[in-house]
Amino acid sequence: MPASKVGPTQLESRISSRTLNIVLLVALLLAILFATALGAVRLPVSEVLRTLLRPTRAGDAREIIFGLRLPRVVAAALVGAALSATGVLFQGLFRNPLADPFVLGTSGGAALGGAVGIFLIPTLSFAGFGATAVLAFCGSVLTMILVWYLARAGGRFAMETLLLAGFAIGTMLNAATVVFELHEEASNSGLRVLAAWLHGQLGIPTWSQIALLAPLVGIAILLALPLAGRLNTLALGEEYAAQLGISVGRVRMATVVLGSLLTAAAVSLGGLIGFVGLLVPHFLRILIGPNHVRLLPAAALGGATFLILADTFARTAFAPAEIPVGVFTAFLGGPAFLYLLNHRSRESRQ
Amino acid sequence: MTSTILEFRNVSFSRGPRLLLDRMSFGIEKQDMIALVGPNGVGKTTLLKLASRLLPPASGEILLDDRPLASWPRKQLPRAVALIPQELEIPFNFPVEEIVAQGRVPYQPLFGTSTPLDREAVADAMQAVDIVGLRHRVYSELSGGERQRVKIAIGLAQQPKLMLLDEPTQHLDIGRQIELIALLRQLNESGITILAAVHDLNLVAENFSSVIMLTPEPSWIAGPAAELMRPELLARAFSVGPSALGRYFVAPASGGVVQAW
Repeated sequence: MPASKVGPTQLESRISSRTLNIVLLVALLLAILFATALGAVRLPVSEVLRTLLRPTRAGDAREIIFGLRLPRVVAAALVGAALSATGVLFQGLFRNPLADPFVLGTSGGAALGGAVGIFLIPTLSFAGFGATAVLAFCGSVLTMILVWYLARAGGRFAMETLLLAGFAIGTMLNAATVVFELHEEASNSGLRVLAAWLHGQLGIPTWSQIALLAPLVGIAILLALPLAGRLNTLALGEEYAAQLGISVGRVRMATVVLGSLLTAAAVSLGGLIGFVGLLVPHFLRILIGPNHVRLLPAAALGGATFLILADTFARTAFAPAEIPVGVFTAFLGGPAFLYLLNHRSRESRQ
Repeated sequence: MTSTILEFRNVSFSRGPRLLLDRMSFGIEKQDMIALVGPNGVGKTTLLKLASRLLPPASGEILLDDRPLASWPRKQLPRAVALIPQELEIPFNFPVEEIVAQGRVPYQPLFGTSTPLDREAVADAMQAVDIVGLRHRVYSELSGGERQRVKIAIGLAQQPKLMLLDEPTQHLDIGRQIELIALLRQLNESGITILAAVHDLNLVAENFSSVIMLTPEPSWIAGPAAELMRPELLARAFSVGPSALGRYFVAPASGGVVQAW
C-alpha cells in the first residue's frame, strides 16, 4: 500500500459527465482538424478548415485531405471509439478492468477470421469487405464464447484463464500467418493486409468502406447504451443481478454480439491495436467513476480522440518512416496493463 | 387472505447425489422474525436461494403471498422479496450510493432513469441503516460492518415485504453483531418479515420469535424460539455433546446456565 494514501476515498467532487462529454467532443473535433493538417506536407489549419467546410473547392489540399488524410483520421476515430467502447462492455461483463478486446484475444480471433476470408474465400466480397468482415465477426464471437467457458468457474472469472486465452489466440494467429504464407495462391495484397493487421497498422480506407463501417460502429454504440445500466447491476454479480429481475443471459448475449461487431469493425480497419480498450476506460474511470452509463459515451469519444492522436504521432514522429499505431499503443498500454494486473492480484490476496 | 407470507410445501432439493432438503413444509407468518439455524453445509443458503427463486426446487412447491413462486413475473418478485447474500464483492470504485440504487432496478424499465420516487427510496434505505455519511465512499474500501449495512440498504431500496438474510452477523465483532440484530428488529417492527440464517445461538434465543432448525440427516424442526433453543435439540443438530454446548450457549427459557457448570 502506498504510504501517501490518507483517509478513505471520497468520490463526491468528480467532474460531471456532461461537462466531460462536451470537453471530449471539442477535443475530438480539434484532434480531427490538427491530425488532418499534419503530415509530410503540412497544411495550415485554416486551409483544412476551409476545405472541409467547402469540399467542392479544387486544389492540392483537397486531394491530400480527402484522398489521404481524412480517411485515415476517420478510420483512427472509428477504431478508437469501437475498441474503447468494447473495453467498457467487456470489462463490465467480466467484472475485470483487464478485459480489453486485445487482451481477451477477440481482436486476434477477428483477425484470424478475416485472414481466412482473405486467403481462402477471396472472391466473396463487396464494398471491400464481404466474407472477410463476416468471418472477422464470427472469429470475434467464437473467441469470446471460448474465453467465456474456459474462464468461468463458480460464477466468477479466473484472471489466469482470461489472460491465457488471449495469449493462446494471439499465438494461433501468428502461426496462421506462417501457414497462409505457404498458401500457393497467397496474393501479395493479402499478405500485406495480414502483416498490417499483426502490427496494428492503420490503413487508408476507401470512402465506401467508411460509409459501411461508420454507421455500423455508431449504431452498435447506440444500441449498447441501454446495456450500460445493466452492466452496473452486473457489478453486484450475476446471481445478484438475476435476483433483481435482470435477465442475465440476454444481457450477456447482447454484450458479446455488440462487442464482437465493434471489434470486427476495428480489426478490419487497423488489425491488432492493443490496450486502447484498457487505457481509455481506465483513465476515464479515474475522472468520472465506474458508472457504465456515463463511462460508455465518454469512452467512445475519448477513445476516438486518443487513437487519432496516437496514429498522428505514429505516422509523423519518425517521418518519413512510419511506425504502426499498434506498436505505439503497446508501449503505452503494456505498462498500464502490468500496473492493473499487479493492483488486482494484490487486491485478491487481501 | 391468510397471514402466511412464505410457504414451503414438500420442498426437496439435492446437490449432486446428496439430498439437502427432504420434503420440507413450513409456513412463515407475516411480520414474523425467524432464525434459520443449523451446522455448516446443511442447506441454509440453499433454502434462502429457493425462497428467492435463484434455485428451483427439485420437487414440491413454494408459495409467496399464496401464489406459486414460479408464477411471479420477473420484475415483481424482487419488489416483494429481497435476498441479502453472505458475500458481496464489487469490482471498480463504485460508490455506496450507486450500489444501493441497484435495489431500484426492479422498478425501472430498460431505458428508464431513476425517478424522484427511486431517489427517495434510496435515501430512505440509507437513512434506515445509518449509512448516509458513507454514500460517496467506495464500497470495496468499507469495513465488514459497513458492507453489511450497505447490503441491507440495497434490500431495503427494493421495498420488500420479506427479507432473507444469509449470515448477516458473520465476520462482525460482538458490538457490530448487536447493532445489526437491533437493526433487524427495527426493520421487523416497521413491517418487514425477516428470515435470517444465523450462527450465533445466543443472538437467536434473545431476538428471534421463531426458529427453523436444519439438521444433517436431512431433517428439520420449526417452532417458537423458546421451544427450539433447548440444549438437547441443539446438541443433536450440531452433533456435539450437550455439556460441551452448554459452555457456549445459555438457554433462555430457564434463564440459567445449562448443565455441567
